[in-house]
Amino acid sequence: MTVMTAARARRRLAPYLFVLPFVAVFIAFSIYPLIFTARLSFTNWRGSGAAEWVGWDNYTYLLTSPGFWNSLANSGVLWLLIIPAQLVIALIAAVLLDNAKLRLRGFYRVAFIVPFVTPLVAVAQIWVVVFDTNYGAVNGLLGLVGLPDIGWLTTSEWAKPTLALLFLWKTTGFIIIILLSGLQSIDSSVYEAASLDGSSRVRTLWSITVPLLRRTIMFAVVLQTLAVFQMFAEPFVVTQGGPYNSTTTAGYYLYNHITRADLGTGAANSFLLVIVVMALSLVFVRLLRAKD
Amino acid sequence: MTALTTPRASGRRSRPAIGSQLFLVLLTVAFLAPVVWALLSAFKPANDIIRSPLLFDPSTFTLDNYTAMFQDVPIASGFLNTGIVLVFKGAITLFFAPLAAFAFAKYSFIGKNLIFGAVLISLMLPTIVLIIPLLLEMKEFGWVNTYQALILPGAVDAFAIFWMRQVISAVPDELLDAARVDGCSEFGIFWRIVLPVIRPGLAGLAVLTVMNIYNDFVWPVVIASSERMATLQVVLSTLSQNITGNRIGADYATVTGELLAASSVALIPLLVLFIALQRHFINGILAGSVKG
Amino acid sequence: MHKHLPRAATRAAALGLAAAVALGLTACGPDIGSASQTDAAADLLQLPAEESPSGEITIWDRSGDLFEVFDEAIAAFNEKYPDVTVNHESVDIDAKLQNTLITGTDVPDGVFLDDAKIAGLSDYLWDLSDVLAPYSEEIAPQKLDVNSVDGGIYGVPFDSNPGLLYYNATALEAAGIDATAITTYDELLDAARAYKQAVPSAAPIHLEQSPFLSQLQLEMYASQLGTSLADADGQLRLDSPEYEQILTYLDTVQQEGLGTRAEYLGPTDIAELENGNEVFYPWAIWFDFAPQQLLTQTQGDWRAMSLPAWETGGARSGAMGGSSFAIPKDGANSELAALFYSFLMFDESGYSAVWGPSSVYPTGLNTSIPSYQPAADPSAPLFEPVPALGDQDLWAVATEAGAEIPASVPTPSWWAGAVDYLGTNLQRMLDGELTPAQVVEQSSDEIQTNLIDRQ
Repeated sequence: MTVMTAARARRRLAPYLFVLPFVAVFIAFSIYPLIFTARLSFTNWRGSGAAEWVGWDNYTYLLTSPGFWNSLANSGVLWLLIIPAQLVIALIAAVLLDNAKLRLRGFYRVAFIVPFVTPLVAVAQIWVVVFDTNYGAVNGLLGLVGLPDIGWLTTSEWAKPTLALLFLWKTTGFIIIILLSGLQSIDSSVYEAASLDGSSRVRTLWSITVPLLRRTIMFAVVLQTLAVFQMFAEPFVVTQGGPYNSTTTAGYYLYNHITRADLGTGAANSFLLVIVVMALSLVFVRLLRAKD
Repeated sequence: MTALTTPRASGRRSRPAIGSQLFLVLLTVAFLAPVVWALLSAFKPANDIIRSPLLFDPSTFTLDNYTAMFQDVPIASGFLNTGIVLVFKGAITLFFAPLAAFAFAKYSFIGKNLIFGAVLISLMLPTIVLIIPLLLEMKEFGWVNTYQALILPGAVDAFAIFWMRQVISAVPDELLDAARVDGCSEFGIFWRIVLPVIRPGLAGLAVLTVMNIYNDFVWPVVIASSERMATLQVVLSTLSQNITGNRIGADYATVTGELLAASSVALIPLLVLFIALQRHFINGILAGSVKG
Repeated sequence: MHKHLPRAATRAAALGLAAAVALGLTACGPDIGSASQTDAAADLLQLPAEESPSGEITIWDRSGDLFEVFDEAIAAFNEKYPDVTVNHESVDIDAKLQNTLITGTDVPDGVFLDDAKIAGLSDYLWDLSDVLAPYSEEIAPQKLDVNSVDGGIYGVPFDSNPGLLYYNATALEAAGIDATAITTYDELLDAARAYKQAVPSAAPIHLEQSPFLSQLQLEMYASQLGTSLADADGQLRLDSPEYEQILTYLDTVQQEGLGTRAEYLGPTDIAELENGNEVFYPWAIWFDFAPQQLLTQTQGDWRAMSLPAWETGGARSGAMGGSSFAIPKDGANSELAALFYSFLMFDESGYSAVWGPSSVYPTGLNTSIPSYQPAADPSAPLFEPVPALGDQDLWAVATEAGAEIPASVPTPSWWAGAVDYLGTNLQRMLDGELTPAQVVEQSSDEIQTNLIDRQ
């Protein structure tokens, strides 16, 4: 009897001990700065001197500022440019890689993950030269097939797609692996049934694979939504937000406040961004549940 | 679980068609071309990288960029510092994250939802905004330019917890109960049952953690202001400021050459690691991401 | 995903946010900032009193050619002051300096800094008025002005970056145009029109496509006219006849198809410079890097001259960019850093080591000139004639131009932030979307609301 209660007491106590180290570090280096940031968002502190309490001023400034809404809109457009394309490419690649008979399977898996580990600053250089309007390789190729030059990085219509390409390049490999993981957990008998059925490959993909992968896909979507709305390094190294702030993403806009030492506005901006990202994540989770 | 530990017999479909092969080849070219460009360009005279970025003339092969880079920036001590941070931060993450995740996945305790909610929020908060508060905290602790400042913040990061919680949730409760009946302590269950079972997931976390620590630069740039504490990515950023900055002044061509040389040197260890651990990495991510 | 994660996660996240906000709003959070009490007299730095002081200083520079040049200058310094050890570090200054100053830990004794950044950081820097007093009469006034805040001087002026008109002499001569006869921007326009007649594919004048550099160039033009974005009190003064004149000129170049729109030395720019379509480059002296390193086909064809004037008899140059050395108050050996920079800039063996022949630049550092006027003597060159400019004596051209730069006022701390508005609107004008008047009106409005009012 006493042994039983002792064990139960231990079992009750254990989780607290297990989370304690994490919670200690988390409070010290995440929660504390988070609270600090929350307070900061109601001040006009600039990194030195005394802070002045300004109430909701930073929030109202942002909510009435065209720049803030523009940055959200830019991220929204980038999201539309990136996520669907990425899912399609990654899905096809993952399905192909899932086939054990594929030659060079291991090579492809490494090749696809290489961009993920390449320092971005090095990549930014080639983006600038390859997408140059007059002398870049991409327009050179377009010229060969008789298409006109495109101002990839110099016009506000094309800068977003060009940036989206960079992001796709950098992260699609990771998404391929995630989808591959989902695919590997699908029972192969499902496919055998389909092939007996005489379903075409595309049909099988659409009517069997995609529904079975829905949770994995949603996981990838939520992950990438966070990444797209926080995207900062890509515009920073390639476009500096231009031309005409057309690539000033939500993350880059936020960074601008910080470089101007407008820390209060930066803090307020990040909380507004959390709300946006949370709302979007909720929508996806809802979508996911509605179909269950 | 079974899907990740046993390489599934996926002889389910026929050899992929020509179109599919072509798709994979094109994708590979697109993914590798920029990296190959960077690796090759590092051996070109610096001015030629700017002047004729797409031309590779073997007769102009040079090691100048490498010699200049080794002379200009402390890349060796960068490797050393990154190595030290990697070992300690990696070990802390790989032990404490699964431990806490174990509690989140398999126990109920007071405050569980609150803490896990905070974890989710911190996932959604752009990290860049926490930099200044964290920096002031480091100042209070007297930790500026110390290894603990590079190691502890983010050592048990929210994503690792989130990820490990997924993995451990998939461990059957019966397995844990059986161990309890056998008289295993709660920590013993974690150490002797959970950890071995989730090894593939842990391997995935290990590779992701190594990659994140290796490539992290925002925090190290800020906190490791002195040269002796500079990590590899800080060294890269020292070079890249002249390029991503505004090209005021003269010789940004030389710096571009040095940057590409440094990027190549930085890329190679991770590439080797990937090729060597390819299988573990892929299976690990498979274990961590969401199943259908 | 765990079956119940979505709902639980949502609830948990909401709970977490509520807790964070609640905690944040109560007074238990951390203190934000401690007011630093500044006492004007305590901020004045002095040089060390001893003859040959000893100690150790840490100096931050950015990486690249200048770093190596300063390395050799340090050796010259040590010949005179053998007991001072200089730790020279190459650092990503933009990313690190502000944060290092905030933490006050391991602060360097001296740091290389863009002039435009001095005002924003002056709270953390020594007032160098006393250190500079013996020389201030002889330092280019514009350089002292940009480093001044409320009567204090917060940087040891390093280089002067006079704007020059670079031109492709060979191409222009072939078209029968004598560039040296150009004295005003109207005459530059005429020469450009004439060149375009001779070479129909030409777009002779460089029009900068990067918002940052185009704003910097705009300020060069403004500097020629003795004005700048903000006046001495930090009030915006964009809405002025001077800016209207400059913007109208740029608009004319664009409207008449006389300009090559390209990013400074990007692929398009280099190609157009090489093929003779782009022959006029009004830019800071540091453009000479291009003919020396990048323009291999037209190397030797290029020459430099003073900028045209806005009115006959007006100033023939303006400042574009420039850097100084700042000395943070939290540095350990600030006096020694002041000694080091004084040596570098005002001692003949110092400035000769910087601009004179070195292993990096065997013919001298010719991408800027000293701002200390005794060092910038047109008849006593520190660097040699430049072969890429047809052995032209760039030193004489640049020092004479430098002497023409009108006085200025401190650069406001929000200057770089203004690029998002003024730099962007300027680009829109060059796209034909805005008129000069609209650029002035919109930019003034945006800079006022988003930058000045939020200081």
